[in-house]
Amino acid sequence: MRNSGGLETVFLENRDRLLRFLAAHGAGEGAEDLLQELWVRISAAPAGPVAQPLAYLYRAANNLMVDRHRALRTAERRDHEWSEATGATVPGVSDMPGGERTLIARERLRQAEAALAALGTRAETVFRRHRLDGVSQREIAMELGVSLSTVESDLRRAYRAMIELRSRLDAE
Amino acid sequence: MMDDMAMREAALDWLIRQRDPAFGEWEAFGDWLAADPDRAHVYHELAAADADVGEWFAAAPPAAAPVEAPPVANPVTRRRFGGWLGGAIAASLVAVSGYTVLQNRADPYSIETAPGERRSIALADGSQVDLNGGSRITLDHRNQRIATLDRGEALFTVVHDDRRPFIVHAAGAELRDVGTVFNVVSDRAGLSVAVAEGAVVYNPRGESVELGAGRTLHARANDSVVTLGTADPAAMVAWKQGRLIYDGTPIGVVAEDISRNLGLPVSVAPDVAARPFRGVIALDGQRDRFLERLGPLLDVRIERGGKGWVLTAKQK
Repeated sequence: MRNSGGLETVFLENRDRLLRFLAAHGAGEGAEDLLQELWVRISAAPAGPVAQPLAYLYRAANNLMVDRHRALRTAERRDHEWSEATGATVPGVSDMPGGERTLIARERLRQAEAALAALGTRAETVFRRHRLDGVSQREIAMELGVSLSTVESDLRRAYRAMIELRSRLDAE
Repeated sequence: MMDDMAMREAALDWLIRQRDPAFGEWEAFGDWLAADPDRAHVYHELAAADADVGEWFAAAPPAAAPVEAPPVANPVTRRRFGGWLGGAIAASLVAVSGYTVLQNRADPYSIETAPGERRSIALADGSQVDLNGGSRITLDHRNQRIATLDRGEALFTVVHDDRRPFIVHAAGAELRDVGTVFNVVSDRAGLSVAVAEGAVVYNPRGESVELGAGRTLHARANDSVVTLGTADPAAMVAWKQGRLIYDGTPIGVVAEDISRNLGLPVSVAPDVAARPFRGVIALDGQRDRFLERLGPLLDVRIERGGKGWVLTAKQK
């Protein structure tokens, strides 16, 4: 908004760094265009002050690249599915009626919860607090009265289990 | 050079650490990525998978809902007035009939805004209601701790009183504050509640789902399927300052917000409506320029149709 001035200054001052970051993400020749796209995304920046402007910009750049990857993957999947004329698809991105999507989403959630439960109560709690409630690792360690390294290893196990489940469901 | 396994583990470590809101080592992460072109690919795969996992959980049904047989209930065929929903609807019927029976005591009045208009309503106890455009709220002169959002969007900033909870009725549901700033939207899509501060209890006499700060709830209009999610508390109240902040919100919902805030009829093609959007929309400036800017931001084509603006997929 009007005082996006501060953010714009930081953006311009760190243009080269952000370009390098996008390039490191595999942006290749498109890095300049993606930087432009990034600015379009954030040019209507918050009216309130952004606490860590550079970290904010990096995070936005990171999200942009991950979103782009997801969009490409979804498009590929759709083409593939269309050619096979199958009904199976991933939640949130298909043209399938909402009810069916909800059913699939519930089934996936059920499977994810079962996989989490299999890791044990502590790992499950740690994952939920971190991934779903957005609580920092340090706070989780304090809440549960365990060491930071315990939280780290629980998180690694849980994220790994979730990502493996997702790959498995994807392959079905 | 790292082997594949080690690379995957390292990428996962970054992903986990980045989820910390205070993560600040983006430069080091960039250096890590840059050292080997395969790393970006491995990281993107993991991050995309993790985003999918986040979506599964975002669609979680309320934990308090008793499970009816069969265990995985089909939400499409769930009876609208049956089961645990009955309590909520009965409760709202009581509230409605309360107005007629107790007419000598209740003294309701309504405040309505035109699309694009906003009003701030100060209540006697110090609580405040900010009403967005195209909305209508019914309050009571005799009891200022109760409000009914008939339609549209309102932001409630409630002075908490343990003995007299603030109660909001919307879309057949009841919301009870536990000392709070919360946003309520009641539209064709259903009921959306977002809690910025404190906590709110959704249908205290029914499902009784407590929503803390940063939590969102959506009850779909056609079948009342409830989904829970999380959102940035600052983003929930941002419309009051003329900006809308999103993190993966379907474009269909974004369009409804824009309609309400600016009084512009905006419709969305079905293939675009479900696409997630992340970013900030500032609601200032001229309308034509606003829509010009909005197209690239949402990555859609914007055209003027017979009944307002239409968002469609860009031609490839």
